[in-house]
Amino acid sequence: MSLERIFSNVIKLMVQYHQPLLKGVGITILLSVFVVFFGLVFGTVVAFMKMSNFSIGKFKPLNAIATAYIEVLRGTPLLLQLYFFYFLMPALIPALGDEKISITVALIINSSAYVAEIVRSGIMAVDPGQAEAARCLGLSQSQTMTKIIIPQAVKNILPAMGNELVMMVKESSLASTFYLGEIMSQQKIIGGATYLQIETLIISAILYLILTASLSKLVGIYERRLAVSD
Amino acid sequence: MIKVENLHKSFGDLEVLKGVSEHIKKGEVVSVIGASGSGKSTFLRCLNMLEEPESGSIIFEGVDITQEKVNIDVHRQKMGMIFQHFNVFPHMTVLENITLAPTLVKKMDKEKAEEMAMQLLERVGLADKRDEYPRRLSGGQKQRLAIVRALAMEPDVMLFDEPTSALDPEMVGEVLQVIKDLVKTGLTAVIVTHEMGFAKEVSDRVLFMDGGVIAESGTPDQIFGNPQNPRTKEFLSKVLY
Repeated sequence: MSLERIFSNVIKLMVQYHQPLLKGVGITILLSVFVVFFGLVFGTVVAFMKMSNFSIGKFKPLNAIATAYIEVLRGTPLLLQLYFFYFLMPALIPALGDEKISITVALIINSSAYVAEIVRSGIMAVDPGQAEAARCLGLSQSQTMTKIIIPQAVKNILPAMGNELVMMVKESSLASTFYLGEIMSQQKIIGGATYLQIETLIISAILYLILTASLSKLVGIYERRLAVSD
Repeated sequence: MIKVENLHKSFGDLEVLKGVSEHIKKGEVVSVIGASGSGKSTFLRCLNMLEEPESGSIIFEGVDITQEKVNIDVHRQKMGMIFQHFNVFPHMTVLENITLAPTLVKKMDKEKAEEMAMQLLERVGLADKRDEYPRRLSGGQKQRLAIVRALAMEPDVMLFDEPTSALDPEMVGEVLQVIKDLVKTGLTAVIVTHEMGFAKEVSDRVLFMDGGVIAESGTPDQIFGNPQNPRTKEFLSKVLY
C-alpha cells in the first residue's frame, strides 16, 4: 500500500463522506461545549463545597464529600465511568436511560471534578489581602465574595476553562464506544463500511487537529485580551 | 474609644500576644513600634478582629467586639484599615474603589458617593486618576487611594499597618504627609510603623512592644528621649543611628 494511494483515498473519502464527517464535527463541538458548560456549573458547586468551613465537631462533611467526589472521578478511567453510567442510568432512572443522556451525564460529572479544582485554585489564587481589605470596609462575607473575589478569580479561571474545552474535544472521542455520533463514531462507521481504517483515522486526526488548534488559538487571543485589561 | 484588656493570641504553639491591655482615647494618635515578631501587627489586626484573640476583650465604643454574637461588619465600618501592601481592588477604577463600600454597605446613592469620592481624591492629589485602574498607579498613589477608600466610610478610628514599609523610598514622604494631614483633623489613629521620625512627630503617645506585651508606653519625648525599659533602649539604639 503506497502513500499516494492512502493520500488519494483520504481525499476521496473526505469528498464522499463529507456529510457524516461534518455531522461528527458538529456533534463533537456541541457535546464538548455542553459538557464543559454544565461541568462548570456543577464543578463550581463542588469547589465551594470543598472550600466550605461548615463542620460538625472536627468533621467537615461538605469538604469530605467534595474531596471524595474529586478523587474518585480523577482517579478512575473516564472509559470506566462511561460504562458505569451507561449501565447505571437506565437502572436508576429508566426515563433518562437513553445512552446519549447517560454518556453525556457521565462526561459532565467527570468534567465537573476537574473544573472544581480549576475553580478552587482560581479562587485561592486571589490575594487574601483583597478579602481582608473588603471585610475591613464593612462588606459582608457574601458581598466580598461576589464583588471582590469572584471577579478576580474569573480572570484566573477562564483560560484554564478554555484548556478544559480543548481536552474535552479530545476526550469526547471515548463516547464513540457507544456510537454517540461524534467524529470518532463516524470514523468507526465509515472505516467499517469501506475497510479503509488508516485513511479514516487520518481524516479524524485532521478534524480533531483543526478543532483543537483553532480552540487553542481562541483561548490565546482571549488570554491576551484579559492581560491587557489587567 | 478602644479599650483592650488582657489580650492573648497564639498561632499554633507560638504565643504572639501575652496579655496586652491598652486604652486608646478619642482623638489620640498612637504609634506602635517594636522589632519584627514583637506582636505589634497582630495587636493591630486584633483591634478590628482580623485576627481573633483567644482571650481578653476589645471594647470599641462601648461594645465588646470579641463576643461571638456581635455583628463585626457593623463595627468594622467605623474602623478604617490601611495595609502594608495597599490591597486596592485591581479590577475596579480608582473611583469605584472608593464608592464601593459607601454604596454597598451604607446604601449611599451613587452620585453622592462619587461627589464625596472626588472631594477625597482632590485632598490627596489623585483627582485626575479617577478613571484609571490601580495597575497604572505608583505604590505611593495606591496607598493614598487606600487611605481615601477607608476615609469614604467616615471611620471613627484609622488603623495603619506599616503603611510605608512596601514603598520605594522616594514615595514614603508623600504617604506620610497624607497621614500627617489626616491626624491634624482630629482623627483617632493607631499606627504600626518603622518610621521613627514620623512616629515621634505625629504621635500623642508611643507604645513599644516587645515579646508579645507592651513593654513601655509614653509620650514621644519620653520614649525617644528618656526610655526607661532596657529593651526599649536596646531597640532604639539599633534603629536610631
